[in-house]
Amino acid sequence: MGHILSSEIGRLVAGVVVVLIFVSLNAPFLVWLERKVAGHIQLRIGPKEVGPFGLLQTIIDGIKLVGKELITPRNVDRKLFILAPVLVFTPVLVPFIVLPFSKSLPLNDMNIGLLVIFSFSTINVLAILIGGWGSNNKYSLLGAIRSVSQNIAYEIPLLLAVLSVVLMTRTLQMSKIVEAQSSLWFFMVQPLAALIYFICATAETNRAPFDIPEAESELVAGFHTEFSGMRFALFFLAEYTNMFIVSAVATTLFLGGWQGPFGISLGIPGVIWFLMKTYLLVFIIMWFRWTYPRLRFDQLMNFSWKVLIPLALANLVITAGIIKLI
Amino acid sequence: MGYFKDIAVGGWSLIKGLEVTIKRIYKPVVTLQYPREQIEMSPSYRGHIELKRFPESGTHYCVACGTCMRACPSHVIKLQGEKEAALEAKRVVHYYIDFSHCSLCGMCVEACPMQTLTFSQEFELADESRWDGVIDLVKYFEESAR
Repeated sequence: MGHILSSEIGRLVAGVVVVLIFVSLNAPFLVWLERKVAGHIQLRIGPKEVGPFGLLQTIIDGIKLVGKELITPRNVDRKLFILAPVLVFTPVLVPFIVLPFSKSLPLNDMNIGLLVIFSFSTINVLAILIGGWGSNNKYSLLGAIRSVSQNIAYEIPLLLAVLSVVLMTRTLQMSKIVEAQSSLWFFMVQPLAALIYFICATAETNRAPFDIPEAESELVAGFHTEFSGMRFALFFLAEYTNMFIVSAVATTLFLGGWQGPFGISLGIPGVIWFLMKTYLLVFIIMWFRWTYPRLRFDQLMNFSWKVLIPLALANLVITAGIIKLI
Repeated sequence: MGYFKDIAVGGWSLIKGLEVTIKRIYKPVVTLQYPREQIEMSPSYRGHIELKRFPESGTHYCVACGTCMRACPSHVIKLQGEKEAALEAKRVVHYYIDFSHCSLCGMCVEACPMQTLTFSQEFELADESRWDGVIDLVKYFEESAR
């Protein structure tokens, strides 16, 4: 057993199994958490019947979705329609390879870690476009178009915010970025970049108040209107896993990853620190959803092009200047 | 300068919004787990009518005079009384109302000369058949004693 795990391929296979188990347990937990948060913000209780505190409710819902018939409407583009849910779910597994859960836990600590995460999380948009186009449905297509234009608009300030951190650490390797924050977390050094990253991350995952691609009051369900059963579940799974990933990346970039504040670990293992911070950020994203109304489309675009991008650019230029001076 | 002011004011209002919702998370929930918990009904709640129990005698004073039956605009009351001995007052033995047609106007309660009719607190009245709306108030009275 020992020599299988120590070999590169054994480590990878074990890692993939662990990642798959984690993803399929994490998403139901986040859906449960979302429903609990929504409930308590609206002075309700949320799910509580199935399992302790209703924890098994979303797993039961998942089983129901697996059991449902996969409906393929008559006039859809069959190949794209079947491809879209697979394509939306597969790329969300890749970032787990480089996410630094603790000092020794990134599956493969490559020196282009950050690049891998952002290049694969962009495929998500392509899958949404394919799903919306392939459905042959006006609501789906509108949702997909909105999603693409929104993602293009918010990808830019997101990457600019990330760039200012990369400029400071001069590396794309996740573990090195975390180690650079051993004394001071980067959100204290780069508060504006952290804020811009977090806003854009919320928009990138199509979460409220930036959820116009699936605005249910105007577009039925947006790009996944025609998807049912497990195909819909895959879109859902991908959305919640993406939420976890952007929060994990924010933890790595701005909240010191597996380290405690100011290098004080309090004896808590790094994985716990990392997950605590990540789930705190996930909670904040949920908190956003149940506080803010959805933005109108032009407001959304204005906010990105007129506010976020200039601010991110200014922040980047100032960061570069200061680094050059020091 | 309006640009930065907009960002500052807008950001502040967003933070205010978050403050409102985070406070509500810690407030007690208002949802009642209905079959397991029940609220106390308001005294002014109008359920179907029932025979009032007077504490001094422990029973109702219905003499089956039929005033309520004649007062009812929807004709949903049907009752029958019986005299057990010659000089005794009549006592009701059957008192049926068809609650599915009752408009809860309260004419019967007002008309009752013995003031022995009142609105009950009954609210769990969902049933499967339209005939389940027919309620025997004498039986209801006896069951409520237990």
